[in-house]
Amino acid sequence: MPPLSSERAARRVLWREAVVRDVVVETPRARTLALDVPDWPGHRAGQHLDVRLTAEDGYQAERSYSIASAPELDRVELTIELVDDGEVSPYFVEVVEPGDVFEVRGPVGGHFTWSADSGPEPLLLIAGGSGLVPLMAMVRHRAARASTVPTTLLVSARSPEDLLYADELVDAPALSIARTYTRTQPPGWTGFARRVNHDMLRAVAPAPDSGARVFVCGPTPFVELVTGLLVDLGFPPRTIHAERFGPTGGTS
Amino acid sequence: MPPVSRGFLGRRRPDVDPARLPPGQYFTPDFPVLSAGPTPHVPLAEWSLTIDGAVDAAVTWSWEELLALPAEELTVDIHCVTKWSKFDTTWKGVSLDTLLEGVETEADYVTAWADGDYTTNLPLEDLLDGKAWIAYEYGGEPLDPEHGGPARLLVPHLYFWKSAKWIRRLTLTGDDVPGFWEAAGYNNYGDPWREQRYWND
Amino acid sequence: MSDDADHQDGNALAGLLSGVFAADITTVVRRCAFCGDASPLGAHRLYRAAGLVLRCPSCSDVALRAVERDGSVSVTWAGVFEVPTPTASA
Repeated sequence: MPPLSSERAARRVLWREAVVRDVVVETPRARTLALDVPDWPGHRAGQHLDVRLTAEDGYQAERSYSIASAPELDRVELTIELVDDGEVSPYFVEVVEPGDVFEVRGPVGGHFTWSADSGPEPLLLIAGGSGLVPLMAMVRHRAARASTVPTTLLVSARSPEDLLYADELVDAPALSIARTYTRTQPPGWTGFARRVNHDMLRAVAPAPDSGARVFVCGPTPFVELVTGLLVDLGFPPRTIHAERFGPTGGTS
Repeated sequence: MPPVSRGFLGRRRPDVDPARLPPGQYFTPDFPVLSAGPTPHVPLAEWSLTIDGAVDAAVTWSWEELLALPAEELTVDIHCVTKWSKFDTTWKGVSLDTLLEGVETEADYVTAWADGDYTTNLPLEDLLDGKAWIAYEYGGEPLDPEHGGPARLLVPHLYFWKSAKWIRRLTLTGDDVPGFWEAAGYNNYGDPWREQRYWND
Repeated sequence: MSDDADHQDGNALAGLLSGVFAADITTVVRRCAFCGDASPLGAHRLYRAAGLVLRCPSCSDVALRAVERDGSVSVTWAGVFEVPTPTASA
């Protein structure tokens, strides 16, 4: 990723006030917020925003949320999932309405990004729960650019009700999508129904020596498990990019 | 003042006695796990606690020996420099007065060494006169590894980074040697009541 | 190498340290002072303690400590950081 000019860099560095334009219910526990962010410099698929909330007594809480929307979209979208006993996620899932404001910083994060210009190598995306958000930005960007990079998305969710973007996750030319439901499965389900393991990866992933770029995202235990499996299978560690959301999968 | 986000309260914070809350702190009912690195796991058979440095003779206790010492149960408020305070935490441990009894020294300072290569420094007098313990129980249970078990230093009158988790050694020194956070921007002493968070406070 | 779940990675530091370099910090490669391995900061392990601690993914050596306060962040570095120099491109 090329270094930024100082002016573009400055726009990402400062906290700015974002306004909620729209709230969409993705699942019972997840919302997508469309934001208006002043001086939006554009982003790369995989990047995130830091978000800061201030309460009336001055108390502040900060979190980071991956950008769900493709760079080609005319608005910035975050998808936020409720974390049990979380401090910040309940605000976004249960309270926020269009017109509400909070501060954002970014977009940031070049290590965990993919662009259709990155090269023809296959793309392997592995998501645990809300780890699907930045990977979906990559899938949407790929579609917007009509890229033909062979892409595999494996998403692990607890149940069909928890699966984000379910209606959008359909196979397409050079794009194959696999799901595993680890707790409850849809009626008549014949697909994967367990935690990701070697066999599942062997079944869906491109060959370890195909030069694939791999992106793994989700709760830290999921990422540590999957990256370990990938290395076991022979994927070169340098080709594996990981983003760990922390112990609960949303830093609450 | 940054924009207030309508309806954001953070966690429910019941009314607390403001006299118990140091400046800039917020009460929390939780006990956040904050660690500078991966949780160490030392078998108790290999665990020891040592007091050494500017002393006539170093002293070491094995785990069994530590547990055999007279222990106290105490209830204290704790204050983290990241702005949360937790009230009425209950611990069991051995007072540093007990451990330092009979230790001859002219040193004024202590460096606390912990597993995971963590250090913190304090004046020796801040470990004396009922102000510090080696704690091995929290809430009536053996101290959880993620909270510093098997044993941690407990110095509640200072910000909680001084209460080194996974404590293994107290080295008495003539000079004050800044520890892991003291050398990285936090205050050398860390009194929450004078809000001594940062190096130039 | 680390079996605990309580860490993230250097991607989560990108915002806080975005003002430090003219380059994205997550792609800056650090050569570890202890084990010699080179990896991008985005792949380093991030721990949240009194401040933030970034550790080498190979050996856990401390790469960086960050203490955030109003108006500034104290950053302590160890190891060799390969920082791309800015170009004239906008």
